[in-house]
Amino acid sequence: MEKLSKTSKLYLTFVMVVLYAPIFFLIFYSFNSGGSMTNFKSFTLTHYKAIFEDDRLMVILINTIIVALLSALLSTVIGTLGAIGIKSIRNRKFRNTILSMNNVLIVSPDVIIGASFLILFTMVGIKLGFLSVLLAHIAFSIPIVVIMVLPKLNEMSNSLIDAAKDLGASKRDILTRVILPYIKPGIFAGFFMALTYSLDDFAVTFFVTGNGFSTLSVEIYSMARAGVSLTINALSGLVFFVTIILVLGYHFLTLRKTKGVRN
Amino acid sequence: MSENTIISFDNVSKSYSDGTVVLKNVSFELERGKFYTLLGPSGCGKTTILRLIAGFIEATQGDIFFNGKKINHVPANERQVNTVFQDYALFPHLNVFENVAFGLRIQKISETDIKRRVEEALKFVNLIGYGVREIQEMSGGQRQRVAIARAIVNDPEIILLDEPLSALDLKLRTEMQYELRELQQRLGKTFIFVTHDQEEALAMSDEIFVLNEGNIEQSGTPVDIYDEPINRFVADFIGESNIISGIMEQDFVVSINGKPFECVDQGLNPHEKIDIVIRPEDLEVTTVDKGKFVVTVDSQLFRGVHYELSTYDEAGNEWLVHSLKQADVGAKIGLNFDPEAIHIMRLNESEEDFDARLESYGEDPDEK
Amino acid sequence: MKNKGNVFSLIPYYAWIILFVIAPIILVGYYSLLDLDGHFTLMNYKQFFTSVYLQMTLSSFWYAFLITFFTLLISYPTAYLITKLKHKQLWLILIIIPSWINLLLKTYAFIGIFGNKGPINSFFNWIGLGDQQILFTSFSFVFVSVYIFIPFMILPIYNSLDKLNPALMDAAKDLGASRLTTFRRVIIPLTADGIKAGIQAVFIPALSLFMITRLIAGNKVITLGTAIEQQFLVTQNWGMGSTIAVFLIIVMFIIMFLTGSKEKGEARNGKTK
Repeated sequence: MEKLSKTSKLYLTFVMVVLYAPIFFLIFYSFNSGGSMTNFKSFTLTHYKAIFEDDRLMVILINTIIVALLSALLSTVIGTLGAIGIKSIRNRKFRNTILSMNNVLIVSPDVIIGASFLILFTMVGIKLGFLSVLLAHIAFSIPIVVIMVLPKLNEMSNSLIDAAKDLGASKRDILTRVILPYIKPGIFAGFFMALTYSLDDFAVTFFVTGNGFSTLSVEIYSMARAGVSLTINALSGLVFFVTIILVLGYHFLTLRKTKGVRN
Repeated sequence: MSENTIISFDNVSKSYSDGTVVLKNVSFELERGKFYTLLGPSGCGKTTILRLIAGFIEATQGDIFFNGKKINHVPANERQVNTVFQDYALFPHLNVFENVAFGLRIQKISETDIKRRVEEALKFVNLIGYGVREIQEMSGGQRQRVAIARAIVNDPEIILLDEPLSALDLKLRTEMQYELRELQQRLGKTFIFVTHDQEEALAMSDEIFVLNEGNIEQSGTPVDIYDEPINRFVADFIGESNIISGIMEQDFVVSINGKPFECVDQGLNPHEKIDIVIRPEDLEVTTVDKGKFVVTVDSQLFRGVHYELSTYDEAGNEWLVHSLKQADVGAKIGLNFDPEAIHIMRLNESEEDFDARLESYGEDPDEK
Repeated sequence: MKNKGNVFSLIPYYAWIILFVIAPIILVGYYSLLDLDGHFTLMNYKQFFTSVYLQMTLSSFWYAFLITFFTLLISYPTAYLITKLKHKQLWLILIIIPSWINLLLKTYAFIGIFGNKGPINSFFNWIGLGDQQILFTSFSFVFVSVYIFIPFMILPIYNSLDKLNPALMDAAKDLGASRLTTFRRVIIPLTADGIKAGIQAVFIPALSLFMITRLIAGNKVITLGTAIEQQFLVTQNWGMGSTIAVFLIIVMFIIMFLTGSKEKGEARNGKTK
């Protein structure tokens, strides 16, 4: 390993500082007793308290979490089954076509997804609100789960399936005792990705949500359009905190997996 | 079909939807408790036979019998056959114990029995105390043993081994050859071993099936196959050999390059065109005047036990010679051999006719 | 040998493809042919090819290009340097974490940072430049976009750099290549797939951003995305909105085709907005 030069180190530090400065900037002012992001008067937790006292915001927060968990769960089930199905498609051409279809929503700009889903839901007659948002989130999370699970499936040697059959396993046994345990890291990764996609989504939700239903992103957008509000800063603090916990939790999980600590 | 027959193939063919034929009308019977080897180059159909017996694929034509019962459509998980895979196919999410216990758990056997049988199997392959290890922590040779333990623990009637030694280094491979052979004898089960390595086949088997392009070229004991290859392919594939065209002038006389030599074969048509095999170790280096024929040494390699000489006769045929003595490159030397060293192969002879012909030499004590 | 269980497992997935992949594209195509009263018309397309829309498209492309260019310029060296670090996995996670913070929050931060009394302007005042209008300029738009996209560009490039066999660098050196030549002739071509994936992950979303344009650029910059949002949610002219969307979908397919790598989807783990 060659030593990095001073310039290189400086450059990396600079990039890191730029990446984190806005986040810490936000969190710093979330403790400001003054009303703006300009001069720091004194330390306070009022803005955090305000979040928990604001019933509307709390409902939105719970909505966001429910949508995220539900959509991640359902898209993980559908995506995992889909990935297993895709793997079993023998016809190469057909499989590649399906895979390209799978990737369409991943590369599509959110605006397109949002606009087209808006048309779809209106045509089918689904009321814009919780259901439309949930369906949209499931829809854009499925391909991500597939993308996370497929490599694990591809990595699995066919002889493992043969070996299980050889040892007397039925199709059900093969799925529950061999395939699912093997691709478990992929499924978890898919679930986490779906969760963060859902929590993070703004544009699609913005299009397909009705008047009565809102998620955190949409709410922040309308708050931010109205001007600076330190409640948003406090929200950032919370989100950052939760994200770090999620990251650490996920990292810990995968680390444990790779180290192979099992009983 | 004798009572001792465990597996029999009756005119079995296998082809795939894209039209490739991997097995052509193959028929054979395997006896209980023997060590069989399916030997051939890649693509010869040996693994196909194994997968047909295991039940991973179904025959396109013909019938497969197990203990006299037709098993064409019996799925793999209902056959009393277990496989040791080429890549071992050990489950990476399970530890050694659970890998071995996999089949038993499927059968819903009681926990105490599972524990007893897994430990027995691990003991059999010299892996006592390794149960709690992860597969990733095991070396190649150890994984190999786990794979074997996982197969034998289910007490199958047949154990199939799909090139299980190919991933090991030379030294370990030789060791495992001894161990596998010994294991088979202790267990008394039928082993069907697939390999492309002729040395492995010769060392371990009771009987070898040499396959080529979806056909069985020859079957027999290692000694039979080495000493009496049926045709050019087998002679070339098993061991090193000098294969050359010749003419059977009359009984006990064969001519090579128009020059007559004494041999021990009889009963062929006079002046029949034939192939002749002389193994390099059967050729003896001597002086020009004492040799049955004269060759020029082209190159020479030291092989440890012997020198391997590449030589050419006047007609330009190459002769490989294993000699204990060094020769001078470029020098002319004489080559000598016994009449028994000449092995005659009729062109396109079927295995049946071949066996009958060898049978007829029976009275000659030098043969067999 | 077909596994019947797998056929059933695909039913919800196929339903998803039909309902949420194929149907939406067809619907967008269908709506682009409708006028405000729901009659078939080609007016939307005619209108799209007028100077107003073409100019907007052109400027949208120009900004997307600028954003992609600067993102790549900053990300490539960063990814390269990270692969040289001892705890590279940890550093990579540090790079990714900001991308997991809600996009809106990060954008919102810049309203404060670039604001009239924000830290940047205080700095300008301190060095005697006086107050500058940063917010609601095209500069702030490009800057914030680049900031948002950096992690998505670093990730695929890092992956392709990390896969490089170090022996290749030694081989190049051994064959007499200078560091620059090695970089230009060996490293860049071998990480082309990562670069392409990164460009794909940045360029398409950059064309369709609308939230940053609204919050940061005021109405100084109008991207294709802003136009679609405007047509759908403000003017309620779904036909025109769909026409722009059709154009964006076509562009997307062209870029996917141009930057298509042999290993589809592998280098892409990043999220894009």
